[in-house]
Amino acid sequence: MDKPDLNLAAIRDQWVGVEFDWTTFEMTAPNMVAWAVACGEMDPRFIDPTHADFQAHPGFTTHCMSGRVFPKDFPQIGGGFGVDGGKKVEVHAPIRAGDTLTATTTIADIFDKTGRSGTMIFIVQRMEFRNESGHLVSTVDWKMIKKAD
Amino acid sequence: MQFRDVELGDDLPEETPDVSMPTVTAFCEAAKHVFERFIDHEAARKEGFPSAIVPGIMSQGLLAAMIHRWAPGCTIREIDTVFRGALLVDSHVTMTGAVTDLNEDDLSVELDLAIIAEDGRTGVIGTAQVTFEQ
Amino acid sequence: MRLDLHTHSIKSDDGRAKVENYCQWILKKELPLDGFVLTEHRQFDAESDYRHLEDQYGLVIMKASEVETDFGHVLVFGVNDDLLGALDFTDVRLPLEVVLEESSKAGAFAAPCHPGRKRVGLFAHYEERGTVTGVHTVEVLNGGSIPGEDEWSLEMAEKLDYKGFGGSDSHVVSRIGYCATDFPGQEIPDIHSLVDALHAGNFSAVSMRPAATS
Repeated sequence: MDKPDLNLAAIRDQWVGVEFDWTTFEMTAPNMVAWAVACGEMDPRFIDPTHADFQAHPGFTTHCMSGRVFPKDFPQIGGGFGVDGGKKVEVHAPIRAGDTLTATTTIADIFDKTGRSGTMIFIVQRMEFRNESGHLVSTVDWKMIKKAD
Repeated sequence: MQFRDVELGDDLPEETPDVSMPTVTAFCEAAKHVFERFIDHEAARKEGFPSAIVPGIMSQGLLAAMIHRWAPGCTIREIDTVFRGALLVDSHVTMTGAVTDLNEDDLSVELDLAIIAEDGRTGVIGTAQVTFEQ
Repeated sequence: MRLDLHTHSIKSDDGRAKVENYCQWILKKELPLDGFVLTEHRQFDAESDYRHLEDQYGLVIMKASEVETDFGHVLVFGVNDDLLGALDFTDVRLPLEVVLEESSKAGAFAAPCHPGRKRVGLFAHYEERGTVTGVHTVEVLNGGSIPGEDEWSLEMAEKLDYKGFGGSDSHVVSRIGYCATDFPGQEIPDIHSLVDALHAGNFSAVSMRPAATS
């Protein structure tokens, strides 16, 4: 097995920390409720828009996809579009119906490892969501996995 | 459930979430995540899956709902899930959780989470940090 | 003495377990474990010092590494400066023969883990490329294996006359101790003793995995 002609360390040095996308998302009560109900949620804070503390389910921002998948001029590494390896969500404050969230997307990490599916490249994208007041409400780290072989 | 009722090593009640096609389809529509591999068994098979699969982000939501049922009124501060293998739509999957850490300073606990597929494989593994009211 | 020889903490990219929580879990669940070895991915954690946790919880906590080779993943016990100088632990395609040779030279003990696993297991590579000289011990029971993988590991280890040990490969707290290794009648207080015990070969793998979990 030859090492592919890919200098991942150099790519990491160049791209980790680069912010590359800015998008806004409207938070609507029907979508927030439908999401929570489909997840089997029974807590009125998440399924009853009339509840005083009505808010989005903790992982609701994970469906907000950035406009760009990669920064402009990002090198072609790995094969295919990439599969979803996992999501980490930090909930900093409640997201309310009617909020317009502004998301910034950053390359948070790039690394490789081998697993049952062969050698894979992990590209971690971090989306930070802020409400109209500029308060950070949610951070999502998305691990995109691409085949290296 | 209050913070004082929680002990390290406690297991959350095991649950069998609804991952039927109508429910998964409803989730996909709410998430604007409508892809054939999630909502059409035949199309998923053409993509190489055994049948339609549950979206990873839905599996995380299922676990969050389980936490809220275990400790009503708690706040999930962080939930981190790794998607290790496919969970099939219309299958019987099992969710588990366990308390692995307690912090009396901020009334928070840490949980291990997992979803086990019908064939016994672990499809999703994860952790969560949850805080309780004073 | 019973040790879990394969665990990961938050020092690994995919590890979610804090070392103290492993200790608390072992005691709370009354797991029949005397200690565990942290085998962080593609690195050796030289900085962390867990002696206070050993004293507090009465457990042996050792540090080792899991490296990635052209014949799958390999646990290296007894990592020292000589070995760190000889191998780039971050390289995901280290030649297995080099890892075995350099480990031996440095006084460490290298053994392939989850050998029955597709792509990252030794035996999958053996099927395509033949056996490697110098392998004598493998992890035959791994807490992260899916059905069939450990069965194949046990079968092949027996066929090739390899010694077998066990480890949970836990990445979260609640999975520690799923598999472990018994060292009958032996005291293993530190990593040097563990390397000696592995060389001596008087050990066996045990599974403590709950039913219907993989």
